[in-house]
Amino acid sequence: MTAQRAVGAPVARRDAFEKAVGAAKYASDLFLDDMLWVAVLRSKYPHARIRRIDTSKAESHPNVVAVFTHRDVPVNRYGLFKKDRPVLCDDKVRYIGDPIALVAAETREDALEALKLIEVDYEPLPPVTDPIEAMRPDAPKVHDDGNICREVHLRLGDVDGAFARADVIVENTYRTGAQIHAYLETEAGISYMEDGKIVVVAGGQSPYRDRAEIAHALNLPEEMIRVVTPYVGGAFGGKDDITVQIHLALVTWKTGRPARLVWSREESMMAGTKRHPAIIKIRTAATRDGTILANKIEIVLDKGAYTALGPAVLDVAVENCNGPYRVQASQIDAYLVYTNNMVASAFRGFGAPQVIFAIERQMDLLAKKLGMDPLELRLKNALRKGDRYVFGNVLEGSVGIAQCLEVARSHPLWRSRGRNSCEWPWLRRGVGVAAAMKGYTIGALPDKGVVALELLRDGRVLVKGSFTEIGQGVIQAVAQIAADLLGVSVDDVEVVFADTEVTPDTSVTSASRQLFLAGNAVREAVEALRERVAELEGRLSGRRPARVEFSGGWVFIDSERRYSLQELARLLESTGLGRQVLGVYEVPRVEPLPGTLEIPHLFYMFGVTLAEVLVNLLTGEVTVSKVVSIVDAGRVINPITFTGQVEGAVAQGIGFALMEDAKIRDGYLLTRDLSTYLIPSSKDVPEIEVIPVETEEAEGPFGAKGIGEIGIISVAPAILNAVADATGVEPNAIPLTHERLYWLLKEHGLVEQLRRAST
Amino acid sequence: MARRAAVRTVQRRARGPVPQAKVPIRVKINGVEYSHEVEPRLLLVHYIRDVVGLTGTHIGCDTSNCGACTVLMKGTWGNEWRAVKSCTLYAVQADGAEIITIEGLAKNGELHPLQKAFWEHHALQCGYCTPGMILAALGFLKLNPNPTREEIRKGISGNLCRCTGYVNIVKAIEAAAKEIREKGSWI
Repeated sequence: MTAQRAVGAPVARRDAFEKAVGAAKYASDLFLDDMLWVAVLRSKYPHARIRRIDTSKAESHPNVVAVFTHRDVPVNRYGLFKKDRPVLCDDKVRYIGDPIALVAAETREDALEALKLIEVDYEPLPPVTDPIEAMRPDAPKVHDDGNICREVHLRLGDVDGAFARADVIVENTYRTGAQIHAYLETEAGISYMEDGKIVVVAGGQSPYRDRAEIAHALNLPEEMIRVVTPYVGGAFGGKDDITVQIHLALVTWKTGRPARLVWSREESMMAGTKRHPAIIKIRTAATRDGTILANKIEIVLDKGAYTALGPAVLDVAVENCNGPYRVQASQIDAYLVYTNNMVASAFRGFGAPQVIFAIERQMDLLAKKLGMDPLELRLKNALRKGDRYVFGNVLEGSVGIAQCLEVARSHPLWRSRGRNSCEWPWLRRGVGVAAAMKGYTIGALPDKGVVALELLRDGRVLVKGSFTEIGQGVIQAVAQIAADLLGVSVDDVEVVFADTEVTPDTSVTSASRQLFLAGNAVREAVEALRERVAELEGRLSGRRPARVEFSGGWVFIDSERRYSLQELARLLESTGLGRQVLGVYEVPRVEPLPGTLEIPHLFYMFGVTLAEVLVNLLTGEVTVSKVVSIVDAGRVINPITFTGQVEGAVAQGIGFALMEDAKIRDGYLLTRDLSTYLIPSSKDVPEIEVIPVETEEAEGPFGAKGIGEIGIISVAPAILNAVADATGVEPNAIPLTHERLYWLLKEHGLVEQLRRAST
Repeated sequence: MARRAAVRTVQRRARGPVPQAKVPIRVKINGVEYSHEVEPRLLLVHYIRDVVGLTGTHIGCDTSNCGACTVLMKGTWGNEWRAVKSCTLYAVQADGAEIITIEGLAKNGELHPLQKAFWEHHALQCGYCTPGMILAALGFLKLNPNPTREEIRKGISGNLCRCTGYVNIVKAIEAAAKEIREKGSWI
């Protein structure tokens, strides 16, 4: 038997070879003959009315071919939840990256020069940049229909009764910052006409969804547009929304010429989406023995100027804000608020890192108040399989949080907690723990994926799907799954991905669910192929076989007869049955809770992070010296891809916790490059130990579950809990930069204490 | 006098862009001689990508922080190979120099030990930083052929990766260093 040979094996990725030799082509690597260079004029103000746009000087520039404004866009609003985002601004600009005009010129330099020749007459309006202020009725309005984009109010269980019964009540407010994706490849693409179609080749996460958005804006049928997503130089949610696609399609559609648009890093920082900054207030009621009775939670997310994927992010925040615990009652009030800040949308974790930061700091503060060990408190309240979660949903999928916590409890790092002193008096060591949860798949929203499976004439297998390779390794994992289901070597599986012309719609690559979705669709496709073989056999022998098995490059029919896959391909073709089958997988879901979009999910990811830090009391510098990430991983399809994903997520979590400080003042971004907005370098990330707790997700392909996001979610609270352990100071806002911690330490007299001790 | 000159400059600007005289350069990249006429303002990285067409060298930041554009170069500052960020030079500064990019590392279809190690150790995910990371690592290994993990972390800290968390990159460089030492030839 060859079954399950590839799944679970640490196979080096096929795309990694091309990438290591410099042969892989990203969208920004594509240059076409006779290509126009496109540049975008962006708003100078965070909030202003546009009185007049004069493009005449730019148009008379000798090497400029065309200049476009809102007047050239057939349907000038796009967006997935709400069509509120202008392709090119008309009445107003609402943040500093808002696009106003496009220049298409013969060279990069000509395009950039011509941008400076466009005159825009603005009437600056007062900006609103604080979400709490924006909720006031007299605040300046970002959109005509008010600043509250969406609100959710849930009353679950007997909250008042719980608070009346409580022995202890803990209340705190937490804040998280506007993390920027900072993928190494900025938003980029090219476009051209081919057979009367507009072809857009761009870095993205969902070619079919991008196609629908382009078609809507240009008022063209979708069939006239082809979207191809080549290898993407990082996405993390930041390429889930439209970036360059509509602008490119517009230029090519109007000029008939190929075009290229690559955002500069500064543009990417301003016009790219961010993680929603959050303000979260939690009031927790618990009994003396550490049983959590209820949480009252208020969440305010800073939406920035446009809706983007915000409504779904708010739902994820609401769904996970009670943490992976058996909470009996909860009152949740959540607001998604427009401001004149840059647009927030999807970013790895999708609302969960913000609320888990809050609830996991809250758990440590509750433990402190109760005099309990923070890990024991978590374990005491941890969810188990079969539990009814706070929304009334029974957790029927895998729930590995208690196992993860148990692994953490016996880990040497946790057992070394309490040794706070270091060889120097100004250094303090601390160890922190935090748990995480997040639903994967897109919850109660309908979600269906299709893949095509083609048996090639030489007996090899071709899998086609619109999943995108954003660095996560989905292509390799899909190949491994197909190889095992069909009993062939993984090298005999070809994968074609992300092209609306040749791959069926496998739905969006997001929410840690693409492997789950594509893997299950491949399983369905193999079933369809089995059915097709049965039909073939029925025609050839007049009798439908009872069993069709794939193994070792052969298909066995009722253990009587066998064909090689090559022969099978020939037979399927000659009988007209066809060598291609489709696999359709619809993600099981439940109806959403009233007032929500996608709550609850049926499938959840769980994890626990342990962090060790060294805090310099004189400077406020925090060095993360060790991270242990324990993940409820379901069945691991490819161990090296899995640990790599988790390590990368941990590094982004360290950035989110300590370094990544997007300085925004009155709507203006002050940190516009990677020299002022610092992401972790090799000196900031320690050795990371990844421990998979292999549970079994019965619904997942080979028992696998989503793991793309879970690694980041509990990193920031684990680090801050470690800082609190080291210093006794309780910081509740991130990023906790040196400077912020320094002032906190000073406020608490630690700096003074040290000075006294040294004299 | 000075005042009049200033006015003249402004007038010329107002008429449109000043055409830049092109300068001839000769550069040897991956063993192949190239000669082109380029504008003095053209960055070396744009020359390599847009003019020569070697797109394995990437651009990540515009401010020389990320290192995605790192190549090996000799002839501009002495005759030793060294890793440089090709966005920090103009193409004209490379006149007469020799350059190795990611496309020039494999020899006779055989991967360079660093390429092989990055592939096998899963030291890349999206892969966009990889060419620069490999060449930065090579420049570093030439200076320090037998580094500790800590030294590797310092050695590549001028190159950013957003996907991997660096753990496997450090492992890959360590493994490649060993192979390079055993082979006795770093390139």
